[in-house]
Amino acid sequence: MVATAFSSLLTMETEEAQIASGLRRRDPEVLDALIEQYQHRLLRYLVHLTGERATAEDLFQETWIRVLEKGHQYDGKSRFATWLMTIAHNVAIDHLRKRRPASLDEMRDTEDAAPFEPVSDGPSPFEQVSALEDRARIQAALETLAPIFREVLVLRFQEQMKLEEIAKLINIPLATVKTRLYRGVIALRPALMGGAQ
Amino acid sequence: MNGQEHGRAVDLISRREVEGIADTDERWLESHLAACEECASYELALSGAERAMRSFTVMASASLVESTRARVHIRAQQLAEQQARTVLIGVSFCLGVITSTLTAWVWWKFGGWVAQSLGLPSGIVEPGILLFWLLPAIVIAVLLVAFPPSAFDGSLMQRFMRERLRGMQ
Repeated sequence: MVATAFSSLLTMETEEAQIASGLRRRDPEVLDALIEQYQHRLLRYLVHLTGERATAEDLFQETWIRVLEKGHQYDGKSRFATWLMTIAHNVAIDHLRKRRPASLDEMRDTEDAAPFEPVSDGPSPFEQVSALEDRARIQAALETLAPIFREVLVLRFQEQMKLEEIAKLINIPLATVKTRLYRGVIALRPALMGGAQ
Repeated sequence: MNGQEHGRAVDLISRREVEGIADTDERWLESHLAACEECASYELALSGAERAMRSFTVMASASLVESTRARVHIRAQQLAEQQARTVLIGVSFCLGVITSTLTAWVWWKFGGWVAQSLGLPSGIVEPGILLFWLLPAIVIAVLLVAFPPSAFDGSLMQRFMRERLRGMQ
């Protein structure tokens, strides 16, 4: 078991080192492969962060341009996904600051675009309708959350990032990450409890 | 139960799914959750939020991926051209400085010889010939500064990629 863990760690290190090497060379094939691999994760993160699909798609492209330009700064010692999300976070922050001079913390989404596409996995029509209603309710609750809380929830639950990784990515103290996670979950609780009734 | 215990419970609940917690912490947490309604409610909300978040999917369209690749390729091409140009300028500059430094003394002496031969004032002829020798390098340097890399932005490859990108949109 230890050998397997070591082997997977070694594989990851090799993979990250290969990515770092490819980015230093600005190898188009490496970038193509990375875009292919991380397309959905990156877009999902940006959609959740901005709350607008069109904006998220613009920032998606901008993020990859910045990955190309700043690729030499990636040392291959940390996970590429974390570094990519950090770049995306900075691109989004730059965009949001330009769009609204107010602090990001004060921003709340009022956009009417539908950022999420529910998965249709219900085995029966009733369950499907019920699941859709649940999702719609939770989606509405998510949209009322400030981006700072939504971002932590996305990184935690969808990207499965450690709290320390999130702190590093957003560049905030660990305690703040915990607080945002807690407050984000608490804010969602009424919508989640509604589904249980 | 005190606030410290609730804080510990919330921390463990938050860490349990992704980082994992020790068996002793797990046992402590289970006993705490059995006795603390508030923390149990948070644990329920957290797992519900996790399930809900995972049920949403956002898919990148093929056209978005393709246009992103095209943009990245164009930018990569621009950066490669800029880099090649920077290297060329750097090498030319170094060679120019070395050549000018090595030959300046020779041209200065040549100016002195011309002035002496033709009976002209050496204070004007010597710097004049030296300036004449350095003039092409100075003009080239001024031109390079005057035309930034963006002025060299219209290569055939880039135009092709731009048209391809426009065609996809």
